Amino acid sequence: MSKMAPTVTIPGQLLGPTSKYKPGPGTHIHLSSLYSSLLGVVHITHPAKAPGPAKRLNKITPAPAPAELPTISVSRSGISEKREILPEVGNVILCRVVRISPRQAVVAILICGDTVLDAEWQGVIRAQDVRATEKDKVKIYESFRPGDIVRAEVISLGDQANYYLSTAKNELGVIMATSEAGSTMYPVSWKEYRDPDTGLSEARKVAKPF
Amino acid sequence: MADRRRINGPAGATIPPIFDDGVDKKTASQKPTRSRPANAVRHTFLKTGVTPSASGSAYLEVEVPGKPGVSGLKLSCTVHGPRSLPRSSPFAPHIILTTHVKFAPFATKQRRGYLRDPTERDLGSHLETALRGAIIADRWPKSGVDIIVSIIEGDQDRETSKEQGDESWDMMNALSGCITVASAALADAGIDCVDTVAGGVAALVREEANNGVAKIVIDPVPSEHVKIEAACCVAYLPTRDEITNLWFKGDMPDDNMNTYMELVQQGIQASKFANRVLVQSISETVG
Repeated sequence: MSKMAPTVTIPGQLLGPTSKYKPGPGTHIHLSSLYSSLLGVVHITHPAKAPGPAKRLNKITPAPAPAELPTISVSRSGISEKREILPEVGNVILCRVVRISPRQAVVAILICGDTVLDAEWQGVIRAQDVRATEKDKVKIYESFRPGDIVRAEVISLGDQANYYLSTAKNELGVIMATSEAGSTMYPVSWKEYRDPDTGLSEARKVAKPF
Repeated sequence: MADRRRINGPAGATIPPIFDDGVDKKTASQKPTRSRPANAVRHTFLKTGVTPSASGSAYLEVEVPGKPGVSGLKLSCTVHGPRSLPRSSPFAPHIILTTHVKFAPFATKQRRGYLRDPTERDLGSHLETALRGAIIADRWPKSGVDIIVSIIEGDQDRETSKEQGDESWDMMNALSGCITVASAALADAGIDCVDTVAGGVAALVREEANNGVAKIVIDPVPSEHVKIEAACCVAYLPTRDEITNLWFKGDMPDDNMNTYMELVQQGIQASKFANRVLVQSISETVG
C-alpha cells in the first residue's frame, strides 16, 4: 500500500474519473466520475503487484492481465481500512448470547471485524445455522448459554430487528463461557467446555482456537 | 397549549428591558435599514463538534448588522446515529431519517411551549426533504439517524414590538440556517452524503426610498424592510447543481415568470455563500 499526500475532502468533492480509480469506502460515482461522500482524508491503495515476468524469457507466457486500478477511499480517521459501523454480510463478529429458545439463540452484536460498535445490534443464530453437519440434531441449549461470548459470521441482514448469524465453521462458535458454578471454563473438545474448579463439563459449540 | 405537566412561562410576548446605553435616542428609535448591498449576506459563524455525546454536531450563529455583539440567529444541531431502529419498525433497506426542529421557549418574541407546535413540525419536514436529497441512504440499511436542531435565538429583532413583522418570514431564515447547520453536523457524524447542502433565502422587498419599487435582496432581515412581498428558501447542492428543497411564499406583484426565476436564482446565490462558510468550517476540523 502506498500513500499519496493525504488531502482533505468534503462530501461532493471530485476525486477523479472512474477510468483511473476504483471506488472504495467513503466515495460514490456520479456520471462516471468519483466523488467523495465523507469528510475526511483521501487514501489511494494500489493493488498488489503481480509477480514479475518469469526468468526464463524463452518461455511463452500469456499476455499479462490488464492492470487493476488503484482503489481510492475517504476516511475520517486517516486509516484506509473500512470503518465498520454496521455489520455486513460476510463479516465475522463477536457477540454475547442474550437469551436462548429451542429454535434459536438471540445475541447482542458487540464487535464487528476489528471495530467496537457504537450501537448494540441484535442478532439471531437459528438452530440450522449452528453447525454444518447433523443440523437436525442440533440442540440450542447444548450449543449456547446466555452470557457466552460467540464468534459468528453474518449471513443475512435478516428481518427488521435481527441480523442472521451462523457458526457453521470450525473457527466459529463459543470462545468464552462461564459454567453454572460461575467460573470461566476452558475448551476440551469441539463440543465441550470444562470447569477448572468442579471438573464438570458442559456442552457448547466450541470455536476452534487459532 | 395542552402542556399541563410542566411549569410554563407566560404565554404572551417577553420583550427584555432595553437599557439606555448612551446611544442617541433619535438614531436608536429609527427603524433599522439594510446597510449592506442587496447581494450580500450577513456574517455567519459555524463550528462543528460542539456536543461530545452526539455522533455529530454543529453550531451556527448569524450576526445582526449594525448591532455589534448581537446575533440574530443561533442554532445548535446534534446528529445521533446511525443506530438500530426500534423493534416495532418494519424492515428498511436504507437509513431512516428523523428530523426535529425545536424553538427554545425564549427564542422568539412569542414564547414557545415545550411541545412542538405546527411551525416546528413544518420546519422539521422541510429540513427532512432538504437533507434526504443529499444523504446516500442505502449505505446504512436497517438503521436510523436522528437530527435535532435547537433554535436558541430565532432571528427576531427584540426592539420591535410583537405586532410588527410577520413571523412567517422569520421561519424562512430559520429554515435556511437549519439546513446549513444540519449539513455540517451530518458531515461531522460521518454519514455519506452526495454533496454539502446549504440553505439560502432571497426575498422580493418593497422600499420606501426606492419609490415603492420592489427589488430582490438575499438574506433578508424582515425588520429592515418596509414590506416583504415574497420570499423563497432554497436548499441547494453546489457541485451537483441541484435543488433538494424549495419553499416559496408570498404574493408576486406581476405574473412575470422571470421574477420567480430571479428569486430562486438569488436564493441559490445565498445558499452558495452559506456553503462557502460550511466548507471552510468543516475543512478545518480534519487536518
